[in-house]
Amino acid sequence: MSEALCHDPEHTPRWGMAIDVNRCVGCQTCTIACKHWNDTLPDIQWRRVIDVEQGEYPNVQRQFLVTGCQHCAEPPCVPVCPTGATRQREDGLVTMDYDVCIGCGYCAVACPYQARTIAHEIQGYYDGEITRQEEAVFDDGRIGVAQKCTFCSDRVDSGLAAGLTPGLDPDATPACSAACIASAITFGDYNDPGSNVSQLVRDNPAFQMHEELGTDPQIKYLYTTPAVPGREPEPDDLSDERLADPANPLVGKVQQFWDWRAAMNWMFGGVGSGFVFAAWTMSFVVPADAAADYGLWLSAAQLAGAGLMAIGLFFVFLKIGRKMRFWRAVSRPQTSWMTRELYIVAVFGIAVLLGIATQHPAAQAVAAFAALGFLGCQAMILYRARGIPAWRHKLMPWMIFGTGLFEGFALLMPALALTIGLLAAFQLLVPLEIFVYSALALKTMQSASVAIVVLAAANLILWTAYRRSAAANGIGPLARSVLARVYRRVLILGTGLPALLYLTGLVAFGMGQTGTRLAIGVWLAGSLLAIFCGAYWKFMIVARASYQQGFAMPKQPHRGSGDRAAPPRLGGTAMRPGTPLAKAPAGVG
Amino acid sequence: MAKADASADDVKKVPFYCYQCVAGPDLAKVTVRNGVAERLEANFDIAEEHPGGGRVCVKAFGLIQKTYNPNRIKQPMKRTNPNKGRDEDPGFVPISWEEAFGIVGEKFREVRAKGLVNENGHPRLATSTGGGGTPVQYMGTFPAFMAAWGPIDQGFGAGQGVKCYHSEHLYGELWHRAFIVAPDTPYVNFILNCGANTEAQSGVVGIWREANARARGAKRVHVEPHMSITAAASAEWVPIKPKTDAAFLFALIHRIVHERGWADVCDVPFLKNRSNSPYLVGPNGFFVRDPDGKPLIWDAADGAAKPFDAEIGDAAMEGAYEVDGYELGPDNTRWDHKGVTAKPSFQVMLDLMAQYTPEWAEAECEVPAETIRRVADEFIAHACVGETIEIEGKTLPFRPVAILLGKSVNNGWGGYHTCWARTMLAVLVGALEVPGGTLGTAVKLVRPAASRVGSVLPGEDGFMRYQFNATSSNAWNRDPHIRNAYKTLVPLVSDSPWSPALGPAHLPWLFQKHQPKSWPRHDPPDIWMCYRTNPSISSWNAPEVSNRLAEFPFIVAFAYTMDETNHFADVLLPESTDLESTQLIRIGGTKFQENFWHHEGWAIRTKAVEPVNDTMDMSDIVTRLAQEAGILDAYIGAINGGAAGTKLARPGKYDFSLPAGEPPESETVWDNMCKAASWDMTGGADVHDLDWFREHGYMLKDYNQLDWYIYPALEAQNLRFELPYQERLTRHGQELAMRLGEIGVDWWETQLREYEFMPTYESFPEIWEDYVRDFGRDPAEYPFWALTARSFQYAWGANVGLPLIAEVADNIAGHSGVVINRRRARELRIEEGEQIVVESVTGRTEGPAVLREGIRPDTVLMIGQFDHWKTPFAKDLNRPSLNSVTDISLKLTDSTGSGSDIVCVKVYKASEKHLQKPLAVEEMGRYDGNIATAAFAQAAE
Repeated sequence: MSEALCHDPEHTPRWGMAIDVNRCVGCQTCTIACKHWNDTLPDIQWRRVIDVEQGEYPNVQRQFLVTGCQHCAEPPCVPVCPTGATRQREDGLVTMDYDVCIGCGYCAVACPYQARTIAHEIQGYYDGEITRQEEAVFDDGRIGVAQKCTFCSDRVDSGLAAGLTPGLDPDATPACSAACIASAITFGDYNDPGSNVSQLVRDNPAFQMHEELGTDPQIKYLYTTPAVPGREPEPDDLSDERLADPANPLVGKVQQFWDWRAAMNWMFGGVGSGFVFAAWTMSFVVPADAAADYGLWLSAAQLAGAGLMAIGLFFVFLKIGRKMRFWRAVSRPQTSWMTRELYIVAVFGIAVLLGIATQHPAAQAVAAFAALGFLGCQAMILYRARGIPAWRHKLMPWMIFGTGLFEGFALLMPALALTIGLLAAFQLLVPLEIFVYSALALKTMQSASVAIVVLAAANLILWTAYRRSAAANGIGPLARSVLARVYRRVLILGTGLPALLYLTGLVAFGMGQTGTRLAIGVWLAGSLLAIFCGAYWKFMIVARASYQQGFAMPKQPHRGSGDRAAPPRLGGTAMRPGTPLAKAPAGVG
Repeated sequence: MAKADASADDVKKVPFYCYQCVAGPDLAKVTVRNGVAERLEANFDIAEEHPGGGRVCVKAFGLIQKTYNPNRIKQPMKRTNPNKGRDEDPGFVPISWEEAFGIVGEKFREVRAKGLVNENGHPRLATSTGGGGTPVQYMGTFPAFMAAWGPIDQGFGAGQGVKCYHSEHLYGELWHRAFIVAPDTPYVNFILNCGANTEAQSGVVGIWREANARARGAKRVHVEPHMSITAAASAEWVPIKPKTDAAFLFALIHRIVHERGWADVCDVPFLKNRSNSPYLVGPNGFFVRDPDGKPLIWDAADGAAKPFDAEIGDAAMEGAYEVDGYELGPDNTRWDHKGVTAKPSFQVMLDLMAQYTPEWAEAECEVPAETIRRVADEFIAHACVGETIEIEGKTLPFRPVAILLGKSVNNGWGGYHTCWARTMLAVLVGALEVPGGTLGTAVKLVRPAASRVGSVLPGEDGFMRYQFNATSSNAWNRDPHIRNAYKTLVPLVSDSPWSPALGPAHLPWLFQKHQPKSWPRHDPPDIWMCYRTNPSISSWNAPEVSNRLAEFPFIVAFAYTMDETNHFADVLLPESTDLESTQLIRIGGTKFQENFWHHEGWAIRTKAVEPVNDTMDMSDIVTRLAQEAGILDAYIGAINGGAAGTKLARPGKYDFSLPAGEPPESETVWDNMCKAASWDMTGGADVHDLDWFREHGYMLKDYNQLDWYIYPALEAQNLRFELPYQERLTRHGQELAMRLGEIGVDWWETQLREYEFMPTYESFPEIWEDYVRDFGRDPAEYPFWALTARSFQYAWGANVGLPLIAEVADNIAGHSGVVINRRRARELRIEEGEQIVVESVTGRTEGPAVLREGIRPDTVLMIGQFDHWKTPFAKDLNRPSLNSVTDISLKLTDSTGSGSDIVCVKVYKASEKHLQKPLAVEEMGRYDGNIATAAFAQAAE
């Protein structure tokens, strides 16, 4: 490491780590040193070393993989953050501002490295008793907000300020690296070609975890030495059987950040926004003479849709860790779809109110498109959660979008029927009006039916394509088994049957009074199925199929037993002592 | 409070050492803010000098939680329930220190009035002080108390039974001053590791050096029934049938000496000049000697036999020669020979090893013959026979190959065989005690203790001096002076301060229940003091040991939390722990495990925080106990004499001695110790007091790397390693057999058969299968071998009550339960995490199943030692322990007095407990513990 460069004010460092898998022995000293320096609560480990076993007896290998925040050059957690609490510094460090974070958990589901956690309450190691030391180091500011490895930015910064060199001077080096007893974790400046880490990755083959996600992690894993050459994983290591084993530490678990409360946003928000848009589109099929009345109804429908969307958002509010700071979520419209969702909600709300007040079609149109935008935001929010393979699939936004519209059109049926029913029940209409409005409603339903059938078909196609391409898109077998279950229900009850019912309705409609009654009946049934199944699958996708991206070792030191053991080496390569450690990390100290 | 706050706070960083495991010490600093220890980090000041880069390991980071653990015993306590038993509530009540000292003092005075030894000749006071000697680094001046007291029975050992690296300790010291064996890691290129869990046991320095070696290109082949973390970090794992490592190693020797041809691949000059290979062996198996008693060597150059230390042109290694001379047998039996046929001991070895082919070994140890040949070939290919290296200006042989043995490989039956084979393999290629090779790290049995190289002194027959316990009829210790009878039964364990704990330390538990035949009466000690030890958990057959402890009349426990041993105590004396008390210790030089330093010196552990509870510094407790016992002056004299560190006065040099009659405070003791140590180290140039050490943490001077190796000292004195032939040892064995026969002891006969000039293989697993048969059961009913392995996070740390340690340890597979082969588990319909029972003929334990591929299908593994029933937090962990299913038995004890962590077990789901039958031992209607030996049955008749 060229100290001069590091301390050169013109130079911008890019801090990173080179972790030698061959050196690591899983001792957990880094884990505990990190816990010490950063005062993390029980079971929260910013730095964690997992114990990975692969192969089958007797051809087995066992590796230890250092995990934690990768301080990606393209961190997926940063753009999604609605508050700006998560940022990337000039020097590449991805930081957290605990005073700004609202604890929405978006960054946590966006991280493909399981690096983030949220602690919702202070907890000591001993049940019912907080020790003096725990009391002294507890940081209330870290409760209810996202937290993760900072690469000990406090040590780096204070070290630099004191003229020390991060990566060489322990006091300026992340605690895990400074503590490592195998020199496995080397910290340094990747922007300095002479730095320890730059040399290590220049001289040795290295891999970045989940490189294919484009995150460009700044932890680079070394995996080969003269004694222990690197190897590719065996196909068996990536078999569904292995990746479906919950005891395999490479396998992600279902994320716990967004639970049923978060799912409510997609369930209610999807149908609500879809409904608002669907109702608006029907204004084009309503005869001109009924346009004013339909406009009135449309305002009511927009208000109802807004109500549904509000319910969804309210449940999200219940889920966030720091509720009183919720307003901070408006801070990142440049990149965060969560912020954009809020802005669109504002536009939508104003438009709905203006529409009600003025009955102006333009206001209603703005509200409708804002609702469509809201639906789009919802679709993008899931899609941008790169930490959840089931969500980040490229078809997922289209599925959310398509299903929202599908549900929205479906909701037209019961909404119209309910309107007529209520008006009749409260005797707000004379019988003739009932007849006229019912005919209008039926006409509208008929038109909507066509849209519903088309959307059902589209959703069916999307779902089928999604499921078929799930494995190829990195969705693991555990998530896929959930999806398979959901797919069957979506296929039969959520799209197939509703489509059939709507087609039946379309045929029956016009076949006399009985036919009309039958049509109404099957349309209502189809609508309820469609809405229920839509909500069901969104719940399942958000809360059950949301397995986190697991860890990966695309390359490994070649060590183990049987087929996996390093090849025999009969002398000849024995190294004379005093020879500089070939390609060995300089390490700290 | 966030770290950045509080610039006005009172913050200090206090240096201290962590010596929680044998691989210590590691130096650390603790940050104390406003009197509270907040965080801990390595003491990087010593990064350059410390062979582990100045780091500390995971265990050290537990020390703050250890300090503030709310489950600590917060003040002295006394027992109010006189009945002792696991199910008895001791009824501990808090008392003042004065009352506690009063109770213990009265007992001390009572015992001293009765006499220090009882009617059986055994000391009335016994002490146990935890594993690996690490408690010494915390017990302050307690060694001075023990020295001042008079006879003390330390024969209950550390409290774990003799399951240490026992054969390595004993044979290692005999052969190459190696209480512990280590590779010369900075130079080694090929390590053959039979089960040594290096990455779990060798601490910061071991892991640091091994990682550097791996990165440099060194290759390690790991041979063990399961894939330990050490196997994981090796280039190859060779699964082997448990307890058959000797077969594997013998076959390696066969491959080298017979198939590859010893003359072509071995270090012939080393064999001829530095081993007893050319010594001629007569028809009775003893060396043929010249009239001066010197063993003879056949000089092929002259065609004549010459004494070993004569000028020899070409020492014969093979063949048979007609020579004149005499053999010296046991009890000075002398066979005079004229023209008798004698063979070099190397030829005897060649003859013996001829039968141990790789194919034979494959049938025994289930490692393919092809693998055995390959490993042997890799070993000799890497040995660099003939090459040299310069160390500190001296040219030495360079042999970068080493062999390590694990705990259950080198203790108990088969330990002699594996240790012999391992050391012999090193001798074959001249890789013993030379750069790159197999080294010893420390001495505990031979003297002087402070210098391994200094202990290389000429002894009999051209070998290094070694003090065997006498076996001659006039000098033999007929009546054991302590309960484990180490001087009586184990000539090899010698008689150093460490010998009592290295004798058959599990025998007292056994003898307490069953009076052995033809043996002095055995009563428990009047007083037992225990410090940092928990035999109720860490012994074989821990439940039975608990029962024996309940029979101890008076136990004083230096206590941290309640635990399974102090449950039986009468008085609990809570000491101030690691961060609350003061002590100065030696560091550097060479120490186990891989502590090879370029420096030596002293380090301080000083009171970083005020005691959290009403505890006392151990040295202050001890001083007061010495007063109560009426031995204050002797105690002070012992401190002055160096019993607690170094001598406080050396005539003509310095005098920091403590005045007689004045009970010294801990701080005074260590202040004087600091001054004496620093004076001694610098010849008076730099004398530093306690305050200086508090600020600086440690003091060092250079240590010559040549002192890592004893080869130069042997060469300088023209001495030989006592290999391959064990004439002295066998003579002692034969004499011991006579002695025991004379007094009618017939229960040590199997052990006596182990004394062989060179070890012949026996199928060791059958001993444990036989043990099952002794209980009337079919070994097929117990188809698994149960083993244990060290946990890096827990080993020696006494930290099972720390949830922080549990949290991080759980990242490593296996801590949570019983490790079992995945395919085998599925055959038994056992799921991951399912509660399963492991049952032997004598005990049961249970825990969740951990399904892994890296374990033989016939083996189950339980990491660490758990099954706690009293220790807070640990008792709720639901973790199994091998100690609950192993047994203490004469049958399972080898001639050195050790046993192994291995037992035949069956495995079934806990949900099938309703099908459970009584344990074999229960079904027999009696519990003997040692049931398999006839010795006690006969005694009872």
